[in-house]
Amino acid sequence: PSPCASANGRRAGRAGPGWRLDDTEDVSLDFGNEEELALRKAKIRHPLATFFHLFFRVSAIVTYLLCDWFSKSFVACFVTILLLLSFDFWSVKNVTGRLLVGLRWWNQIDEDGKSHWVFEAKKVSTSIAASTEVEARIFWLGLIICPVIWTVFFFSTLFSLKLKWLALVIAGISLQAANLYGYIHCKLGGKKSISKVTSRFFLKLVVPLSEMQN
Amino acid sequence: MRDLKAVGKKFVHVMYPKKSSALLRDWDLWGPLVLCVSLALMLQGGSADSKEDGGPQFAEVFVIIWFGAVVITLNSKLLGGTISFFQSLCVLGYCVLPLTVAMLVCRLVLLASSGTVSFIVRLVVVMAMFGWSTLASTAFLADSQPPNRKALVVYPIFLFYFVISWMILTFTPQ
Repeated sequence: PSPCASANGRRAGRAGPGWRLDDTEDVSLDFGNEEELALRKAKIRHPLATFFHLFFRVSAIVTYLLCDWFSKSFVACFVTILLLLSFDFWSVKNVTGRLLVGLRWWNQIDEDGKSHWVFEAKKVSTSIAASTEVEARIFWLGLIICPVIWTVFFFSTLFSLKLKWLALVIAGISLQAANLYGYIHCKLGGKKSISKVTSRFFLKLVVPLSEMQN
Repeated sequence: MRDLKAVGKKFVHVMYPKKSSALLRDWDLWGPLVLCVSLALMLQGGSADSKEDGGPQFAEVFVIIWFGAVVITLNSKLLGGTISFFQSLCVLGYCVLPLTVAMLVCRLVLLASSGTVSFIVRLVVVMAMFGWSTLASTAFLADSQPPNRKALVVYPIFLFYFVISWMILTFTPQ
């Protein structure tokens, strides 16, 4: 169906104002493919990406908390949590940031050996593959809450003197904070100030919550 | 995938240290992480208190490698090097590969016997790999320094790989 739909749409666009024109979408989706309509209305358009974004972070935290249940071996827990944290770093940096909020960042080294960091934000698009509010909220919540939890672990490890876990907690904090810093940098884009962005973020969170209460 | 192929290419570059910019331009820290974890796993169970299943030792190796690499990088940056922080970490981490190979060989030799002959074999292998590691990393890192400071940069790298080689050589399984 989709090749036919696009061919018809192109003809409709070129035929001029007499023909049925849909000027909210310049992509020819108005020929009613049911899947595409459902996708446009769906709250979560990238279910796999959303799932994996949260899965690795939450499993790393859960494994850290419950490591004594799973296995008596310190080494096995250490390596498992480290692997989960690395997969999480890779997937958030390369996949979920791009799909869920349209942001990406990386490091480039040019010919003369100077390195600079590039932060990019996708322009707002109305295609069906764009991300939704719900996805963006899940993304930012997951991105912010987990480093906070690892910082709490850092202090609890430090003060309970279980120092052999300290290396792991520091690795966790640095990996998650790196992604957090990168994406905040992308979001700010050098123009707005961080206080405006955070206040808008909390407004978006608080208003639906208060509506739910009323 | 693309990332795995990049990591594999860098491993090959370390074994044949030609003057190439692949290690320097597209740095990544996955290879060093894998090498560090495998080296730490192989150095397990070599202490007297093996009741704790070598817990502190695993974290020790980890900390020594990463902290040592960070200190060397800071040192070379303070001496006015042009290489970036993560590039230097990448090179130092990847050049641990020969020593990981040496550790593997040592473990195999120790399975066979643990007398004087095995010690001599292990000594030769570890020294050769130590030299290879130091030369490989120096080939990549020393060029970013002005000529009268090369020795100041090479010495900490020498110490770093020396400490790792020492840990490998003095490893005796219980």
